[in-house]
Amino acid sequence: MINEGMIPLFVAVPLAGAFLAALFKRLGWIPDLLGVLASLFSFCLSLHFILDTAPGASFAVNVGGWGSFPEVMGKVVGIRLVLDGFTVFMLAIVNFVALWVSIYAVGYMKRYTGRWQFYTLFLLMLAGMNGVLITGDMFNMYVFIEIASIASYALVAFGVGKRELEASFKYAVMGGMASLLILLAVVFLYASTGTLNMGDMREILSGTHYSGLVYLVFGLLLTGFGLKAALVPFHAWLPDAHPSAPAPISAMLSGVLIKALGVYTIARIFFDVFGFPHQVSIILLVLAAISMGVGALVALRQWDMKRLLAYSSISQVGYIMLGFGIGTPLGVMGALFHLFNHSMFKSLLFLASGAVEYSTGTRNMKEMGGLNRKMPVTGGTALAGAMSLAGIPPFAGFWSKLVIIVAAVQAHHMKLAAWAALMSIITIVYVFRITRYAFLGELKEKLAGIKEVPLLMRVSLIILALACILGGLVLLPQVRKMFLSPAVRVLIGMGGV
Amino acid sequence: MSYLMDVLRNPDGYFAVTPLSCTCAVFATMFFVLTMIYSFKHMKGVKGLWKYYTYLVLTYVATLGVLFSTTFMVLMVLWGFIGFMLYLLIGFGRGDGTPDAAGKALAIIGGTDVLLLLGIVLIWSIRYDGGTGLEGLFRLPIGNLGIKLNSTGAVIAYLCLASAAFAKAGAMPFHTWLPETARNAPVPVTAFLPASLDKILGIYFLAKVTLEVFVMNQAMNTVLMALGSITIMAAVMMALVQHDFKKLLGYHAVSQVGYMVLGIGTGNPVGIAGALFHMFNNTIYKTGLFMAGGEVERVTGTSDLSKLGGLAKKMPLVFAAFLVCSLSISGVPPFNGFASKWMLYHGILESGGRLWAVWLVAAMLGSALTLASFMKLVHAIFLGQPSELSEKAMRKIGKINFSTMIPLAVLSFLCIVLGILAWKIPFDDYFRPEIGPGFAMPGIWHSGIVAVVMILGFLAGYLVYMAGTLKNAREVAPFVGGETLEDHPDMRVSGVEFYRTIKNLGFLKSMYSLAEKQFFDLYEVLQKTARAFGIILSFMHNGVLSRYFLWFLAGLVVLCVVLV
Repeated sequence: MINEGMIPLFVAVPLAGAFLAALFKRLGWIPDLLGVLASLFSFCLSLHFILDTAPGASFAVNVGGWGSFPEVMGKVVGIRLVLDGFTVFMLAIVNFVALWVSIYAVGYMKRYTGRWQFYTLFLLMLAGMNGVLITGDMFNMYVFIEIASIASYALVAFGVGKRELEASFKYAVMGGMASLLILLAVVFLYASTGTLNMGDMREILSGTHYSGLVYLVFGLLLTGFGLKAALVPFHAWLPDAHPSAPAPISAMLSGVLIKALGVYTIARIFFDVFGFPHQVSIILLVLAAISMGVGALVALRQWDMKRLLAYSSISQVGYIMLGFGIGTPLGVMGALFHLFNHSMFKSLLFLASGAVEYSTGTRNMKEMGGLNRKMPVTGGTALAGAMSLAGIPPFAGFWSKLVIIVAAVQAHHMKLAAWAALMSIITIVYVFRITRYAFLGELKEKLAGIKEVPLLMRVSLIILALACILGGLVLLPQVRKMFLSPAVRVLIGMGGV
Repeated sequence: MSYLMDVLRNPDGYFAVTPLSCTCAVFATMFFVLTMIYSFKHMKGVKGLWKYYTYLVLTYVATLGVLFSTTFMVLMVLWGFIGFMLYLLIGFGRGDGTPDAAGKALAIIGGTDVLLLLGIVLIWSIRYDGGTGLEGLFRLPIGNLGIKLNSTGAVIAYLCLASAAFAKAGAMPFHTWLPETARNAPVPVTAFLPASLDKILGIYFLAKVTLEVFVMNQAMNTVLMALGSITIMAAVMMALVQHDFKKLLGYHAVSQVGYMVLGIGTGNPVGIAGALFHMFNNTIYKTGLFMAGGEVERVTGTSDLSKLGGLAKKMPLVFAAFLVCSLSISGVPPFNGFASKWMLYHGILESGGRLWAVWLVAAMLGSALTLASFMKLVHAIFLGQPSELSEKAMRKIGKINFSTMIPLAVLSFLCIVLGILAWKIPFDDYFRPEIGPGFAMPGIWHSGIVAVVMILGFLAGYLVYMAGTLKNAREVAPFVGGETLEDHPDMRVSGVEFYRTIKNLGFLKSMYSLAEKQFFDLYEVLQKTARAFGIILSFMHNGVLSRYFLWFLAGLVVLCVVLV
């Protein structure tokens, strides 16, 4: 039984969890429990929407009953929350990762003081992301982006070391600039259309020739969201920020935050509201090609495990954007599929790097080696994630890269297809650095006494590794019809893939 | 898209049996069984054996899948999976270089898998212009596509597919993982994958692509033949100067692939049949060589030639098997290696073109150099004075080790039998559809008669020897400069430096030094180039906020200017 009134719960429950965690901070394990329960609830809710509704069904609810009134010519004046195929797809990914990250964090965060602050911020970030996904209102989207971003600035600085604070400062300055541009764009849009509701905006804009102002808005939005999504040249904050956060947060940032705040918003606004103009397609393709290259090439030279993964995120977001930039149903499907896979393997790899750091106390791969012998679960799951990232069949990453390359060839972007293939080879090389230097070879004497990580962390790793191994099954018709195709159909009218 | 379900529900649409794939599968099965037997003893005491055997079984099953698959996508997924299994299997090695060798193999094979994917997509695009959607790509059949090499796209597609086959089989320029793997992986793994299954897969796929998917032209055939010839010569030259016998064998594994590529490049039935026959022969004797070498390593604990010697006394059976396989790989009649090379030479003669003499010389010279290099190898391991290490090892040798000897016996037997019966084998039955009906063994070589004559000759020689010995021969200890060799272990003559002069010849010297710097290693070159770009790019990421901010602003301005 679907009740549209349940949609706001995606935001309300994590938000309530955040404040309750602050309230019960003195009761040792309550904040941990709240973190897990709130994300579990959100995940179950998104599953409920996927499983119990007809594929592609769309729901909307007007917050506070502020619907459309005849006085404003039928336009929506309040905030409308919309839940369609694309939203549900993203919600499921975000909350799935959040659930396993929060379970992992129960074990991992034992070393930190002030865990309640961690859970408060974590749940605020989750509420912000869920809010971005379900809102149908431009300004509201900006507000949720800010909630999630500010929570993430604080989380990056959570370790309060020199590096963490520096990274957080850079991230905050750059992120603040991006938010400013987004706000500016929203203002311009409101000025030119007279509405903030996305559905109304689409109707007003469709069929008209876009004015110069709207094109300026494109530029502002692409820059702003491009920064949130870490597209080159707006990526520079990411290699500092993602490694500095505690491992569960790194997993959230690289795994889902850049996608909810950057990739989702670009796709939603440019496909759904602006009808994907040709210029944007070309810009996305160019930015995607540059991102793929820069991220992969710089990742080749990293010795800090998490920094390597952070650069790899830039490269992989390039792949996702390539799919969107192609703009055919196949391309969008590949992009969404790769987004799903990247969430799984990148959060897995960050969690695995956290597990390594937990046991060995270092992130420098020069100081590791032979960890497979002492940490078989971490090693095995990291291998699954790495192979998925490298695109080795039959792991999940292979299938999504396949779809993206096929889409590029189908759209006659031969050079881009070749470039994607070449970067995929580089990816194999840098991915291998992780398995080679951290997990294979001889165990260093210094590390002779290390142990495998606690049970809860292992469980999270194993579940995410299973997602990396079995992720290819999303292409199966039964699953795809329910999960992937509705999301494609929202963005590209026909979605007949 | 009910792809996976469809594959499972309706295997007929995706898998089919042809005589050639059947023959390949029979050989694959044989090597699988022999490797299993060999592993019992050789892998004893290794941790995680259940994983090892699981990987072997999975590799075998996936190989069968590749051989019988009729669509590109099934083939490609299983193909990549085999590469991944190879990576995991190399990981069971215990040497220092093992992780790097595994990584190199993964990078080269995985990297060419990406090219394979690109090639498949290009074929699909050329054939259907992307009109059939993802479904059509997943059902793209191998064979009967008849794509002509008259457009850039088609040529690139062919090169992509061929590079995947080359990397798997270990032909140049994608060979560099093979010697490293041979040196660092456990011997059964080397014998199983790079020496046998990967060869079968790579050449099988190359033949299929070359003959069934594309319509070849003279230029592409010449490219193939040139690559084959270069592979033969360059790899055998590298093999000549190796000090580690596993690595030496690895280079020969590369060199022999050259013959197969050359044969397929001839484009005529004799050459192609020769190539395929050579592929099977090669898997037989190369597996035999690796297994015999592995036994030597197991007993002595080293694969360094300078530390070995004189093992023939205590390991006569291993020596015999090694010798048979060595003669076979060197193309000495009447062993099987000669039979297939004979066919290849005929194929080259028939191929026409202006350069046939060059290919023929490369093939024959390569064969001679192979013989030379195996002289060194046999001498250094089994003949000559025993080294300290082999003395020590020989004292320990006890009973016959059946888990090694059974595979070796089977393989040596096959080397001889296939060589003698070569002219009786109906290749057109076994190698269809690549070889059509009406194929006849070329030339006037009748291996059976020759074998009988040779055996008679040996017998006669032996009789003369016996007769001579009985009458007036006397046995003396080896005499070196007035000293008795046994008393001076430091005067031992090892075969290791037999060919040092070659290494120091003018032009070759510079080539060798470049090869030592891995100048010809595509993987290293690519990695270094990428690193160089990486250095520039990471220099730009200096962590200064104001610079990052500048990029951001520049990006914003450019975007706005472009859009407005």
